[in-house]
Amino acid sequence: MNLRSCISTIAIAACAAVGFTASANAWSLEEAAKPYAGTVVDVVFLKRPGYEAAEAMIPEFEKKTGIKINIIKHPYENALGEQVRDFVAGGDLDIALIDLVWIGNFAENGWVEPVSKFTSNPALKDPDLDMDDFFPLVLNAFGGWNGTIYGLPFDNYSGLMFYNKCMLKDAGFDGPPATWAELKDKYGPALTKDGKYAFALQSKRNETQSADSFARMLWPFGGSFLDKNFKSNLLSKESQTGLQFRQDLMKYMPKGIVAYDHSETVNALAQGDVAMITEWSAFYSTLKDPKTSKIGDCLAIAPEPKGPAGRKPALGGFSLAVATQADDNEKAASWLFIQWITSKAKAKEYVERGGVSARKSVYKDADIVKKYDFVPALVESWQEGVPEFRPRFAEWPEITEIVQEWGSKIMLGEVSVKDGAKELGDRMEAVLKKAGYYDGKKPLAK
Amino acid sequence: MRGKVRRKTIFTFLGPAIFALAAVGIGPLLYAVWTSLHYFNLTKLRQVEFIGMENYGTVLTDSVFWQAMGRTFTLLLIALPLQIMIGLGIALLLHKPGNTFLRTLTRLTLVLPMATTYAVVGLLGQVMFNIKYGVVNQFLGFVGIEAVNWIGDPDNAFIAVIFWDVWQWTPFVALVMLAGFTTIPVEIEEAARLETKSWWTVLRHVQLPFLIPGLTAVLILRTADTLKLFDMVFTMTRGGPGSATEFISLMIQRVGFRGFDQGMASAQAVILLIITIVLSQIYIKVFYKEIK
Repeated sequence: MNLRSCISTIAIAACAAVGFTASANAWSLEEAAKPYAGTVVDVVFLKRPGYEAAEAMIPEFEKKTGIKINIIKHPYENALGEQVRDFVAGGDLDIALIDLVWIGNFAENGWVEPVSKFTSNPALKDPDLDMDDFFPLVLNAFGGWNGTIYGLPFDNYSGLMFYNKCMLKDAGFDGPPATWAELKDKYGPALTKDGKYAFALQSKRNETQSADSFARMLWPFGGSFLDKNFKSNLLSKESQTGLQFRQDLMKYMPKGIVAYDHSETVNALAQGDVAMITEWSAFYSTLKDPKTSKIGDCLAIAPEPKGPAGRKPALGGFSLAVATQADDNEKAASWLFIQWITSKAKAKEYVERGGVSARKSVYKDADIVKKYDFVPALVESWQEGVPEFRPRFAEWPEITEIVQEWGSKIMLGEVSVKDGAKELGDRMEAVLKKAGYYDGKKPLAK
Repeated sequence: MRGKVRRKTIFTFLGPAIFALAAVGIGPLLYAVWTSLHYFNLTKLRQVEFIGMENYGTVLTDSVFWQAMGRTFTLLLIALPLQIMIGLGIALLLHKPGNTFLRTLTRLTLVLPMATTYAVVGLLGQVMFNIKYGVVNQFLGFVGIEAVNWIGDPDNAFIAVIFWDVWQWTPFVALVMLAGFTTIPVEIEEAARLETKSWWTVLRHVQLPFLIPGLTAVLILRTADTLKLFDMVFTMTRGGPGSATEFISLMIQRVGFRGFDQGMASAQAVILLIITIVLSQIYIKVFYKEIK
C-alpha cells in the first residue's frame, strides 16, 4: 500500500466514523417516533410492583413520542391464557409479555418477532441499546430461545431470602442460614414457637407450586425435572432428597402452607408471623413500604441458602417482545417502547419506582447500591442462576399443571414422595412423548 | 281462517328464538363435539389432526377425571339434601300465617345470597376462612375453639365449599318451596288440619304432592348447577389444596384453558353433558310419576 492509498483509506475510515457518530448522535426517541405518533400499542401488564413502576413512567414516553400505550391488566394466572387466545384469534395485542417459561411456546408458534428485526434498522435502534449491559443469564433465559433473542428483560426476578433480622437475633443468630440444611436443623427449631414459624414456602396450587416450591427444592440438591434425554429425573437420588427435604421442612412452616401464594407469604413476613421467606426480588418494595409491611428496619436480604449442589436460586421474570400480529407501525411503536422502558437510561428510575431492572450498569450506581439493600444478593443470584430452573419449552403449560397437582399431593401427604414423583414423571413423559420428543419428530430443546 | 295459524307467522315468532338457540347453544355444542374428535391444542394449532375417539378413551380411563367426578357427586349428595331440608324448613316457617312484616322481610333477605355473584362469594370465602385473619376463626375463637385451617386442609376446604354452596342456594330452594305452598288450596289444608294435628302427616300427604313439580325443578337446576360449579370454587380454593376441591368443571377449565388441550377438554365436557342429560331424565321419570 503506497502513501497515497494509505492516506485515502484513513480519510475514508475517518469520514465513515464521523458520519456514523454523527448519525448515532442524531438519533433521538422523539425523531424516531415521529412517523408513529398516534399509534396505539396494546400490552398486557400484571398487578405487580414492576408494572406499577413502568405505568408511572409511561406518561413521559407518551409525551415524547405521541405513541399511546394501552395497558390491559391481568393477574399472573390469567396472563398466559389471555395472550394465547389473543394470538390464536389474531387479536389486538402488539406486545407480548413473556414469562421465561412461555418463551419456547411463543417463539415456536411465531407469535413474536426476533429483536434483530428492529436492531438492524438504524431508524429504530437506539445507539445506546447496549445488549451487553443486560445480565446474560437474564437476557438469554427471559428473552431468548434457540439462540435467538425475542424479548428484552422487563420485570426481572431472582429468588432471594428475605428475613426478619430482629427475630433471628432474638433467637441467637447473627445472620441468615448459609445452607438449606442449616435452615431446617438449626433455625427451624429455634424460630418455630409461640405461634410464629421459622419459614414459609409459598406452595399454592398454581405456578407458585411449580416454580416457587417444587423447583426450588430440586436444583440446590442436585435434582432436576428432566435428564439429558428428556426423561423424568424426579426419581433420581438428588431429586428425591430435595423433595423429601421439603416435606421435612414443612413442620417449621405455617399450617396450610399449600394454600399460601405470594401475597400470603410476603404478608406473613411483613406481619412478623414468620422469620424467613424465599421470595422474588420483585417483592422488595412491598416489604420495604411501611404502608404494606410492619417489618421496618428488621428487614434484611440475602441470597437463597445453598444446597449440596450449590445455591441455584429460583429464577423467574418476564420479557417484552413485539407481536408478529401487529401491523408495521404498531411493531415499530412497540419496539420503541420496549427499548425505552428497558433502557440503561431509564433503569435507575425504574428501580427507584419499585421495579427490578436487568441492567448491570444500574447496580453499579452508588446511590442505588446504597439505597437498595437487595442489590448485592440479586447480583450474586444472577451469577449463579439456572436458566432451565423450569423447562422453557412449549409443553411447559401442560407440564406445570401436572407438577402443581402432584406436587401439592406430595406436600399434603396424600401420596409418598416417591410415588408422587413417579406418577408426576410418568405423566410428564406422556406429554413429551405426545409432543414428539422421543421419536425424533422434535429435537430436544436446549 | 279461524284456528289455523299461517306458517309465516309461526316462523316469525319462533325463528328468532331458534336462531338464538342455534347461535349460542347448538353451534358451540357441535363445534365442541368436532373439537373432541381432534388433537386440538391452542398452542399447537399446526398439529391439529383427527384422532377419532382417542380423547374419549383417554378421559374414560383417566383416574383424575373420575376422581373429579366423584368429588362433584359427593358435593351434590351432601349439599343438595341439606339445601332441600333447610329450604323446606324455611318455607314451612314462612308459610305459617301471621307476622306479615317479618315474613316479607325474610323473603327479601333470602334473595341476597342468590344475587351475590359466584366469584364474589368465593373471594369472600377466601378472606372469611383465612386461618389467621378470617372472621370465621375469630368467631370460633370467641367460643373457645382453636383456629381451623380451612383453606389449607383438604377436608376443611371441601367443607367450606359445601358451606358456601348451601348458604348461597338454600334460599333458592326455600323460595321455590314457598311458591309450591301457595299453590295448595287453603280449604284442603284446613280440612287436613282438622283431621290431624301432626304437621308431618299434613306435609307428607297434603302439601308434598303440590311441592313435587318445584322440587323436581330444584333437583334438575341444582344438579346442573353443581356439575358446572366453577366461579366460587375457583376464586376461593382454585381446586386445592392438592385436588381436594377440583370439581369436574374446574378440571375441564384447567385442561382446556391452562393446559390448552381443547380436544381433551371438549371430550370431558361432552361426557359431562351426557351425564347431566341422563340425570335430568331420571329425575323427571322418577318424580313426575308420583304426581300423575
